Amino acid sequence: MGMTQFVLKRLALMVITLLGLSVVVFFVSRVAPGDPAKLAAGPDATEEMVEVIRKEFGLEKPLIIQYWIYMKGLIRGDFGRSIRTRHLVWEDLKRFMPATFELVLVSISFSILFGIFFGVLSAVYRDRWVDHVIRFFTITGVAVPMFWLGIMLQLLFSAKFHLFPLGGRLDTMILPPPSWTHFLLIDSLLAGDWKAFGNGIHHIFLPAFVLSFPALASITRINRAEMLEVLNKDFILNEKAQGISERLIIFKYALKNALIPTLSMIGLRYGWMLGGTVLVETVFNWPGVGNYAVGAAVYSDFQPVMAVTIILGLNFMVANLLVDIGYGFLDPRIRYE
Amino acid sequence: MEWKKFFSGVFILFLILLFVSGTSSEAYEKRDGKKIFVYGERQPAPNIDPSQHYDWSTRMLQQALYDALLKYVGNPPKLIPWLAKSWKKSADGKKWTFELVRNAKFHNGDPVTAHAVKWSFERTLALKKGPAWMLMEFLDKDGIKVIDDYTIEFNLKSPYAAFEMALPWWYVMNPKVVMANAKGDDYGQEWMKSNSAGSGPFRQKRWEHGVLYELEAVEDYWRGWENPKHIDGFIYKIIRESSSLRMALEKGEVDGVSGLSSEDFDAVAKHPQIYVTNDPGWTTFGLKMNTQKGYTKDINIRKAICYAFDYPSLIKIYNGNAILEDSPFPKGMKGYIPCPNVYRQDMKKAKEYLAKAGYPNGGFELEYVYVQGLEEERLIGLVLLDNLAKLGIKLKMVPLVWPNMVARGSKIETSPDLMAVFTTPIMDDPDVVAIQYHKVSWGKYYGSHFYQNEKVWEMIEKARFAVDWPTRQKLYEQIQIQIMEDAPEVFGMLYNRRWAFRKHVKGFHFSPVRFTSEIDIYPLYIED
Repeated sequence: MGMTQFVLKRLALMVITLLGLSVVVFFVSRVAPGDPAKLAAGPDATEEMVEVIRKEFGLEKPLIIQYWIYMKGLIRGDFGRSIRTRHLVWEDLKRFMPATFELVLVSISFSILFGIFFGVLSAVYRDRWVDHVIRFFTITGVAVPMFWLGIMLQLLFSAKFHLFPLGGRLDTMILPPPSWTHFLLIDSLLAGDWKAFGNGIHHIFLPAFVLSFPALASITRINRAEMLEVLNKDFILNEKAQGISERLIIFKYALKNALIPTLSMIGLRYGWMLGGTVLVETVFNWPGVGNYAVGAAVYSDFQPVMAVTIILGLNFMVANLLVDIGYGFLDPRIRYE
Repeated sequence: MEWKKFFSGVFILFLILLFVSGTSSEAYEKRDGKKIFVYGERQPAPNIDPSQHYDWSTRMLQQALYDALLKYVGNPPKLIPWLAKSWKKSADGKKWTFELVRNAKFHNGDPVTAHAVKWSFERTLALKKGPAWMLMEFLDKDGIKVIDDYTIEFNLKSPYAAFEMALPWWYVMNPKVVMANAKGDDYGQEWMKSNSAGSGPFRQKRWEHGVLYELEAVEDYWRGWENPKHIDGFIYKIIRESSSLRMALEKGEVDGVSGLSSEDFDAVAKHPQIYVTNDPGWTTFGLKMNTQKGYTKDINIRKAICYAFDYPSLIKIYNGNAILEDSPFPKGMKGYIPCPNVYRQDMKKAKEYLAKAGYPNGGFELEYVYVQGLEEERLIGLVLLDNLAKLGIKLKMVPLVWPNMVARGSKIETSPDLMAVFTTPIMDDPDVVAIQYHKVSWGKYYGSHFYQNEKVWEMIEKARFAVDWPTRQKLYEQIQIQIMEDAPEVFGMLYNRRWAFRKHVKGFHFSPVRFTSEIDIYPLYIED
């Protein structure tokens, strides 16, 4: 099977998976206890007022009809309206999603760059002090809860030493650049607003570090293990015997072979990071989609929850597809079947 | 080794970044020399339309952007004229006439007239959202009459003594601006969620949903400013995590907060640049008992629980910042009396009532439902668990998220034996508390006791429609005593409302009629 066919097949599977996901999330959120219309109408609202909300959001209709209406809207890109805020969910997503993706992209880049580098370093200097230090940090990274790490770093670097801001994407008094992409760092660069760009980098550093820490640890560990295995292979010995430089052996021949399992880990960690943003966004007051979804879920406001689940699910699937495609580039022997 | 060079480079860059961009804490925020007050809190305000929505954060912003006919100030709350300069009611209590001030103007310069008042009330009544419930039973569109540009008359369907008390929460909007932004027949609802059309002391400046809301002072506010040093701007910054909120205050990133735990308030009070206010509030805390189902249906068991509970522990849980409830009505509210039949711990009496119920040695289990993550309610549950164990009653503690609690409390069949509930009265009239014990409140979170006493219901209705205060006062005295007698809940405490401010913040006035963390921004000022 060629690459194109493989991608098409996977895309078709993605549609089916998304459909399944929408069914599960839709019905689970609807059968959960709590009357969203009542909550949205307010604690003192009369039954007549609750009824107004119920009708406005079509909640008086049978569930299956509600699902049909929802899916019809979804096909047109309409994610519905939040029952609590009355905002169009798509408008909210446009605002909050880029903040999350910006954080995740910075974090995953950080994890990949340093994870692979530390993995190689740890393998090359096996059982030396560099290896011990890196292993200590990788075990810590896997074991330490993000929420705790975030608060500790805030206490140390923000509250105690005033080196980093406590949270948010920008200082309160700095006006954000015009929102072309809603990615603050990109928008500030496009606008040539260096003050906002510097301030944005300053703000993203701690949350991105906390979010990347477990992924960095996992990538380091798996890359170290793979590198150790590859470095003991006969072809490496052969290359050494041929007098090829150590750097070339490590970074060209060994690392390329060790990257396939690492790539799988990166794909998994990307999805995990999207979920993990909820905690980091809460601690660092990051106005992203995690905070948005949690706020909605607490009030049984299911349209935003549905939308976030579907978008994050889609994102995770796309990331995994890209990882699968990436295998082929790393090892041409892999066939797409 | 090259990696060593790499590491050194990264490390040096990191140090440069830290020292160059380290955050500094200014005394307060300024823009172009103007003083900005930054308030940090957890709850966003995504919909500021006065006809669609209210909660504490929304109402705080609405109060700054809009004006109402009357306004609550001080402690105890006093109703003062605002857009109305005077008002009178007819002898039968049905006709209310308000004369408006003549100099009030909306932010676009349009005068605030009786026509705008009428239109605003009609809009809220027609949409049947937000504060509509307060008046929709007594007032309809046809009852609102414009006498002249500055006089308006409300003709109620039946007398309602608390009518004027509801008016501070009915804000006046500029019909021209709202309708210019209306889409189809939406009455401007879509636009009004994030925009305003008011005449209040502040106007909108920056509106970043989920991040912050910024207001700027209207320099030529029609009513003028109480203090020439008034704040020039107000930023409501959303900080969702309690520990971040505290750090932000200590660091000076915000000038005021309210959503801290008792421990955090005590801790920040020791900070040299921070002061903490501490005022008895009207938010009552009670353990609502299901009076229609299960063991708590029996009044003797309810009384046994009331006598078994260790009330002073409530004060301890709040580090001394609370007072015990001695009436269903909050202390200080109009009509409140300390009930002579209030319950305090008396294990002998508790055992007597348990024996009367036919369970001298207990031997059954009750369910206590409380808000998940609310530590104080968990501790209160543990106290109750310990107290009831002495009667041979087991307590099952069930933490739930608020929507699930509301759902549980909405039906007799699912309402738990005991449910921890905080309630804040929305206006300074005993009717708003008394009505919580009327059948109309069954199914609402504060009516999860499903209390039934036809005699009390009748008195509540009588008091609601009575015109003269002495008659009402007498009725409310009887209502309080009878409700206490029937023990539909363990009447707990009123916790103190607290705010923490940086010391340069002045002009804060507490009023118990305001919700959770709501402050009146208008009188605030900053002084070095």
